[in-house]
Amino acid sequence: MNRTVSVLVRCLAAIALALGCVASMPAASNAVAYAQIEGTGSTWSELIVQQWIADVDANGIKVVYTGGGSSKGRKDFAQGSNDFAISEIPYQGTDELGNADKSDRPYAYLPIVAGGTAFTYQLKVGNDLVRNLRLSGETLVKIFTNQITNWNDPQISKDNNGRKFPSLPITPVVRSDGSGTTAQLTTWMNNQYPSLWRSYFGRSGLTSYYPIKNGTRTIGQSGSDQVMNAVSAASGNGYIGYVEYSYPVNKNFPVVKVLNKAGYYVEPTQYNTAVALTKAKIDPKSLTQILTGVYTNPDKRAYPISSYSYMIIPTAANDPRMTTAKRQTLADFLYYSLCTGQTKAGNYGYSPLTLNLVQAGLKQIALLKKADPKVNLSNRDVRGCNNPTFDGKNPNRNKLAEIAPQPPACDKQGAGPCGFATGTNDPTGGSGGAGGGTTTAGGGGAKAGGGTTGGTTAGGPGATGGAAGGAAGGTGTTAGAAGGAPGAIDPVTGEAITNASAQTGGGDVFADPSTVLSADRPGDKKAFGWLSGLLLVGLVLIPGVYVASLRRRLLAAAR
Amino acid sequence: MLDLPGADTVAPRHISRKPAGVDAVFEHGIRAVGATMLVITGGVGLFLGYQAVPTFQRYGWGFFTTQTWQPDTDQIGIAAVLTGTISVALVAMFFAFPLALTTALYISEYAPARIKPVLVSLVDLMAAVPSIVYGLWGYLLVMPHAGDLARFLQAHLGWIPIFDVPGSDPNAAVPDYGRYQFSAFCAGIAVAMMVMPMACAVMRQVFSQTPVGEKEAALALGATRWGMIRSVVIPFGRGGIIGGTMLGLGRALGETIAVVLIISPSFVVKPNVLEVGTSTVSSLIAGRFGEATQAQLSALLAAGFVLFLITLVVNTLAAIIVNRSRSGAGTDA
Repeated sequence: MNRTVSVLVRCLAAIALALGCVASMPAASNAVAYAQIEGTGSTWSELIVQQWIADVDANGIKVVYTGGGSSKGRKDFAQGSNDFAISEIPYQGTDELGNADKSDRPYAYLPIVAGGTAFTYQLKVGNDLVRNLRLSGETLVKIFTNQITNWNDPQISKDNNGRKFPSLPITPVVRSDGSGTTAQLTTWMNNQYPSLWRSYFGRSGLTSYYPIKNGTRTIGQSGSDQVMNAVSAASGNGYIGYVEYSYPVNKNFPVVKVLNKAGYYVEPTQYNTAVALTKAKIDPKSLTQILTGVYTNPDKRAYPISSYSYMIIPTAANDPRMTTAKRQTLADFLYYSLCTGQTKAGNYGYSPLTLNLVQAGLKQIALLKKADPKVNLSNRDVRGCNNPTFDGKNPNRNKLAEIAPQPPACDKQGAGPCGFATGTNDPTGGSGGAGGGTTTAGGGGAKAGGGTTGGTTAGGPGATGGAAGGAAGGTGTTAGAAGGAPGAIDPVTGEAITNASAQTGGGDVFADPSTVLSADRPGDKKAFGWLSGLLLVGLVLIPGVYVASLRRRLLAAAR
Repeated sequence: MLDLPGADTVAPRHISRKPAGVDAVFEHGIRAVGATMLVITGGVGLFLGYQAVPTFQRYGWGFFTTQTWQPDTDQIGIAAVLTGTISVALVAMFFAFPLALTTALYISEYAPARIKPVLVSLVDLMAAVPSIVYGLWGYLLVMPHAGDLARFLQAHLGWIPIFDVPGSDPNAAVPDYGRYQFSAFCAGIAVAMMVMPMACAVMRQVFSQTPVGEKEAALALGATRWGMIRSVVIPFGRGGIIGGTMLGLGRALGETIAVVLIISPSFVVKPNVLEVGTSTVSSLIAGRFGEATQAQLSALLAAGFVLFLITLVVNTLAAIIVNRSRSGAGTDA
């Protein structure tokens, strides 16, 4: 009995010692008192947040972030089971299901990472992928509300300056789970195209659960990666889905260029999104985003469906989870994220936060000091902020306007379309620098002579090109000037196009829909059907026959 | 009657059937452990039933007849989800049953003694592969080809309603392959690979119990090996075949993650297994659990409760049939 007790005591002592070591380690190794903080929420922002966490780890700032969805992040925060949450939408009061979606734990919102909701699609003409589709917001909303159901719809070809697409049913792919991406899309639809959206949805407002109507072609997929997989699968011809821009970039898949208020079709690159977000307003009362200015931003570069996700931080002085060390960790992590961290956003398919949003964010960080005066916020202001979109020392200098490239003229409404591929994460939108030599969209428009397979001619579009509406695209040149330029000659510069195949991906983006039907030869079907049947029978029987004959031969040899 | 002096004073030794000492401890311990299983299973059922009460109260019988699952418009029902569950399971059994039966017959009757243990452990290994792996296998490797097969089936058997894909012309120059993906058919193929080893193991065990004397008798009477199998092994193992199939069916009904990966959720009762979109109870729960609110959670658990009952019935029937077959009753005929 006595022995058991002593063993027990010794075990307990060992455990206590081990725990003590673990607990005392982080405090001992750092001069500034940091403590590990934990957060949950948005998967939309997770990629970049994990990168920031890895970056600050060397400075002793330990952050753990787990995705799981915006809704989960908000729920966890309200229940007090995390130190911060990231969400695409603020607390809704009551959510779309009529259940309470609010937090009694005092909190503040701050913008953390921005991005554009991209529409990725798979549309094949012949065997070639279309990579330069352009659509207006209204066309997109009509596609996602099942009013435009075929790719040969005149409204689509109007958006593409008269270029026709094959008759192929459109399959919209939406998120089947509760999603912040859906919330961002439906916010935009509800704000900009209320009559179209509300007659489909049945009521007004945004939703995290995209409604699918029975009998339509719309299909649901859970998670952005599943949507992306469905669109990029071999069977995905005619699919169009909405995801964060980084997904199509990683898959090397095209995205739709969306028409903005200035009349240009733009891609959701980091700069186009950032430019649009300069008009984001923050509601002084609820501290949530008002994006109407973003949707209608008159800048030529602005990508209309841009938004940012929030970080939700606890602000109460008596918050049960927070300590001085934790607040300091959170403040320094946030300062890094809003400033230097934003330089990495572009590489990940996100967009850097602009000056107005960073200033709003810094104001919220100050609330941490208000809650606990021991938090050190000196030297953590906008002047020292190494953000790529503005110059902290001279906030009036519009650095973003200097670095964000203008859209090429062939992307203007009524011109083009440009021959550049989308979804490449190229901030220039594919137009390269200045100079006409890169304007490869020689032919353009509806062409009579298309249908040559990609790669047979250098400069596919230009070579086959030429008929009606052939528009030139040169930076700074208005389109429509040189319709019908002959052969592989650039209409602007007069130079022969040599690199067109590489840049436009051969004739794919300009392939002619009229050749599609003749590609299949039904006369061969029966013959090949019999052949494949025979092959199948052979595949099943031949091994057995071979083994049997082998055995017979062996037996004969043994005799 | 013993006729001994003083016999009435000597009582016969009292013989107790009750275990004493260590035996008693062992027996009670074992009994408690056995009872735990019942308690756990019953507890799961009670928990699900208790959680489901608010949902049943609110929606009543409509819960079983409504097709849509739209909590935001307060329309919730499992008609579509249940039929989806059953169609995925039936497709799975369509593929798994012949595979399991022939594999079990080969292993127990044809396979050379040397490779028999290898085959047995290979089939067991199939059962040990995590279902997410089968899901990825089905999603990335099988589904594109399953779509081709589905188009072929519609082209040639489309006049049978279940092989029809409404609104898609299989003979079009550019077939609309998007309509043949993410379907109950594709999910069923992946699930078939998961239930096959289980069904196969049960069948093989029952086949291996076939009395050797009867097999030898059939062979001695001049039966070929296939004749012997047909007249002895299969009749003896009939219970095992049915029971193994039903155990597999029970697992197919509840298969989750592979189905979640493959299907595109759609809440319509559809007999067309080849058409895009379906939904099963377990995939619904897995897909919606993360962000479910209290009321939604109750509805999900109510769906789970119904599935629990169905699986319980199927598995109980399977257990009864398998147990009966062990007695060798099948050979009476």
